[in-house]
Amino acid sequence: MSSDKMLSVEDIRGTLKKMKEGVKKQPGLMKSTYRYLDAVSGYVERIATAHDEGKWVATHGTQQPLEILEAMDVRGVFNEFWGVVSDIARLESVPEAMSVSASLGTPGEVCSFFRNMDGLMHAGKWPKSDMFLYAASCCDNVKSFHTLGRRYGIPSFGLDRSFTPYTTHAMEFWKNEYKRLIAFLEEQTGKKMDYDRLKEVVAKSYRLTELHLEIDKLVANVPCPLSPECFSATLVAIRCWPGTQYGIDFLTEVRDELKERVDKGIGATKNERFRVLWSSFTPFFDPTLMGFMQEKYGAVSVADMLSTWRVDENVEANWMLDPDDPLGNLAYRTVLAPGNCQYSTGVDVATVLADKSRRFKVDAAIFQNNWGCKTGAGYGPVIKDELMRQAKVPTLTLHTDILDHTFISRADIESQMDSFFEMVESSEAYQERREVA
Amino acid sequence: MNAPLKALNEMQRLTSPFPESVIVKEWRAKGRKAIGWFNPYIPEEIIHAAGMLPFEVTGDNEPVEMQGAEAHIYSNSCSKIRTCWQLGLDGKYDFLDGYVSTHMCDQDMRLYEVWSYYKKLPFMEIIYAPRKRDEETVKLYQTDLEGFRARLSQYLICRIPDQRVADSIKVYNRGRELMQKLYELRKGDRPPVTGAEAVEVSKAAARMPRERFNELMEQLLEEIKRTGREIKKTRRLMLIGNDLHNTTLIAALESTDAVVVVDEMDIGIRRAWGQVDTKLPPMEALARHYVMGRPVDKHTWNSDERLTFIGDLAEQYKVDGVVSQAVRFCTYLGWDKFDLRKHLQERNIPILELDLEYGHPGGAQMRIRAEAFLEMLESRAASPAAT
Repeated sequence: MSSDKMLSVEDIRGTLKKMKEGVKKQPGLMKSTYRYLDAVSGYVERIATAHDEGKWVATHGTQQPLEILEAMDVRGVFNEFWGVVSDIARLESVPEAMSVSASLGTPGEVCSFFRNMDGLMHAGKWPKSDMFLYAASCCDNVKSFHTLGRRYGIPSFGLDRSFTPYTTHAMEFWKNEYKRLIAFLEEQTGKKMDYDRLKEVVAKSYRLTELHLEIDKLVANVPCPLSPECFSATLVAIRCWPGTQYGIDFLTEVRDELKERVDKGIGATKNERFRVLWSSFTPFFDPTLMGFMQEKYGAVSVADMLSTWRVDENVEANWMLDPDDPLGNLAYRTVLAPGNCQYSTGVDVATVLADKSRRFKVDAAIFQNNWGCKTGAGYGPVIKDELMRQAKVPTLTLHTDILDHTFISRADIESQMDSFFEMVESSEAYQERREVA
Repeated sequence: MNAPLKALNEMQRLTSPFPESVIVKEWRAKGRKAIGWFNPYIPEEIIHAAGMLPFEVTGDNEPVEMQGAEAHIYSNSCSKIRTCWQLGLDGKYDFLDGYVSTHMCDQDMRLYEVWSYYKKLPFMEIIYAPRKRDEETVKLYQTDLEGFRARLSQYLICRIPDQRVADSIKVYNRGRELMQKLYELRKGDRPPVTGAEAVEVSKAAARMPRERFNELMEQLLEEIKRTGREIKKTRRLMLIGNDLHNTTLIAALESTDAVVVVDEMDIGIRRAWGQVDTKLPPMEALARHYVMGRPVDKHTWNSDERLTFIGDLAEQYKVDGVVSQAVRFCTYLGWDKFDLRKHLQERNIPILELDLEYGHPGGAQMRIRAEAFLEMLESRAASPAAT
């Protein structure tokens, strides 16, 4: 089995450095593009150098309280994001890693975020990890962390939680799980948690949330000031740099540039015909798709599900309940945080997204039905129906693989988008929205 | 060829046609309610204590043609979910007054949601199902069970007191004890029932009032004792993986010179396993049994003990080989595959892996693979030194 195309940590480091230099010379991009790539590259760098710097490395899944890791000098490798980074660096890596995974007997119906991890681990190209951390989310694949831990002799810890996470007893349970996580980390690292440091980290994380929501308000403007090359900036900041000054500086720079663009009336494109919501994932498998949509249809990506905070009616961050209770704050943060909204019913997710659609003046939604995602397969139709009912937003369902660009061709996507945007443009709801605008 | 078991025939008569059967119609004719449940983490005892019929929502011995289900649940999901929803859409489950599930698996959770959204029943409930086995998860699960009982009481406008739950536990404990006896008998060199028959028994347990099932189960055990019924097959197999409600597939496996003597399915041995502790307060006892009292299942994150359990069971039942089947898109089983194979290889137990669509009968391809597997088992038996 060939592993030539699979990317090691060093390969990714090298490629991202070159990409960073490349964007400096590229005209027409947002200024923050360099900083965005620096955030991605810096994340990889932190992982690559962790052991040399006396830190620990934890491969983890979604819904982790990363602030706890930050406060304990444990650097996270978010397994899903690692697949995205691989796609950014070289699209051929993921399909090859998945073919190695298949050779181990892992079924092809498993989500490719996890098959990619499986294949890279087997090939010895996954970042060297001291532990695996995972949590109950809307994804059964988190079982893989224990499985792979058993296979490779890596200790693991999972955070379980209630299906109805907002009740008092569920929040208490979740907070208690964090205490157990800290005990596990203390055991693995031989270090004690410094709670004063944790409070500082949590305060920084809260600031990051505020910045994220400030950016959301700016992006909601017409024309949308956010270009595709920086679309994932907030997602990267929140998922990779929470609780760090770097994350705050990064999003501050993005916010300032967006503010300037709004003030000057600069949009992502001169011809903004459609404002698009990605109601499940953004197209990680094809990093150029958003740019293509913008150019061909004037379809600007303005919002997505994965970077959606569950916010109050004032669109304010409200998870800092008690500065002296960092674990309680974090427990609440996680259930409000981007990505977590999937851990709920489709109607609830659609209600959150319908609210976002109204705020972001969305014309159309694209739901990526990721082949390996059973949640998407189950709630996609409900979200589609509810978005139409609540916000008169039609949905295009694309049957894709979240990471594998070979699963669906660009030609196929283009043909579906041709008719979809034509339909949107002729719809009554679209005409009404344009009249109001 | 053995004569059919009269008690099993009666179970099948009462639970036919599927799903709104003779016994369901009798039950409903008395003005009584039925609650559908879809997950091994739903304690039937609570529904029973409410005076309602707990009815497991499944498919049956015929594959179901998808005519609409995939508009609500895309085809990249498990076919059991889509089958059940298709039956729901077709009105086959219209006799249910309610539906309860857990979020043990993404797909179980989404089936609940689709049902709730497109065809809401008067009572709908979803509860937490632990992925870890420890004291903390038992407590959280118990809290949700209490909530479930409270909402069921509210629906019925009738309290469900502890004593009623305790009484129901006794009924279900008796059922488990009787089913376990059947499993014990299958350890013998000549098991009294085939694997397909055993699953038919287990299916009946979740489709009729448990008191009636227990009576028939007693008759079945007595009938086996009286007739000395034996299945005379050379090879002994163990069946593991997803729940199979289409027993024609098991029968197809057993059309060779082999018999399934034990399984590792939720519908099988886990349903028969253990006893709820009657010395504890009943709700706590239920929580403990459902989380800690049964063998580790595929849903549990730490499946080390599941692998050990399968290996141990295979040895206890002296099986020649294990047939491991997985319904496509079952993520949990997918992640156990590699280590399961390794574990059984270390124990020198041959394994046949089958990927299936739920509800489909054993077709020619499966039969060919089963026959090849049996041939391999034969040659191992003929030259044990080579194994």
